[in-house]
Amino acid sequence: MDTTLIILFSLIGLTAILILMLVLRPSLTATKAGKVLAFVALFILPAMSGGFGVTTHMEHAKRTEFCLSCHIMEPYGKSLHVDDPNYLAARHFINHRIPADEACYTCHADYTMFGDEKAKMRGLRHVWVQYTSNPEPPLHLYNAYSNLNCLHCHEGARTFEEGATHNADPDIMKAIKADTMSCMTSGCHDTVHATTTLDKVKLWPPAKGATK
Amino acid sequence: MNGEPLTIMEKRIRISGSLLLFGLLVEVFSLLWSHPTAFIVFFVVGGLSMAAGILIFLYSLVSIPNSHSNKDT
Repeated sequence: MDTTLIILFSLIGLTAILILMLVLRPSLTATKAGKVLAFVALFILPAMSGGFGVTTHMEHAKRTEFCLSCHIMEPYGKSLHVDDPNYLAARHFINHRIPADEACYTCHADYTMFGDEKAKMRGLRHVWVQYTSNPEPPLHLYNAYSNLNCLHCHEGARTFEEGATHNADPDIMKAIKADTMSCMTSGCHDTVHATTTLDKVKLWPPAKGATK
Repeated sequence: MNGEPLTIMEKRIRISGSLLLFGLLVEVFSLLWSHPTAFIVFFVVGGLSMAAGILIFLYSLVSIPNSHSNKDT
C-alpha cells in the first residue's frame, strides 16, 4: 500500500471516529467546544477526505492495470508485449518510451487544456458502453486518434524532426504538426495494437506474455 | 442515549453523521478495488451520500437558530 493511501485511510479513520462519537452522543454539541467538534467532524474532515479521495481515484484511473482490469481490454494489454518493433504500442511499452505503469493514459490522454478531464469522461463512457451493450474487440476509438498525443513527446526530438520520411516533402511535417495527416492512418505507423494478429506473434518477455 | 428526547439539531446531526459514515465506508472500499466500477461507485454512491450529509449539517446550522432550546416533543 502506498503512502498516499495510508494517509488517506488515516484521515478517513479519524473522521469516522469523530462522526461516530457525534452520532452516538449528539448532545455533545450542546457546548461551544462540541459545536466546533461537529463543524470539524461533519464538514471540514469529510470535505478533506472526499477531496483527497477524488484526487487518489483520479491518479488510480491513470494506471495501466486499471485500464486493463476490464476483460475486454485483455488483448490490448497483451499487445503491449509483442516482440516486434512494427507494433507501435509494444515498441513504446517494452522499451519504456512511455511510463509502463501509466501506458494507456500516456498515449490516450489528449494533451490539451482539460485533456485529463476529457479522458476521464471518455473513461466513464467506456464503462457505460461496457454495461449497456456487448462490445467485442477490436474496439474503435470514438474519434480519430490525435497526433497531439504523439507530438507531446516526439515534437522537438531529433529522430522525429530530422526523420527522412517526415521531411521528404516540406508539407508532410506541417501536416503532421497541424494534425491534418494522421501518424497512424496515413500508412506509416498503422500497426498499433493489431489485436487480431496476436496469436501469430511472439511476446516479450516470453515467459510472461501477460498484461499486468 | 440518556433517555431525553433529541432536539431537531441532534436528530439532524445523527442523519448527517450516518450519511457521512456510509459515504466514507464506500470511499474505503472503492479505494481498495482498482476497477472502473469502483470509480463510478465512489463518485455516485459515496459522493452523493457525503454531499448529502454535509449539506444536511450545514442546512441545520442556518435553519435552526437555537437548537438546544428547541426540544422535540
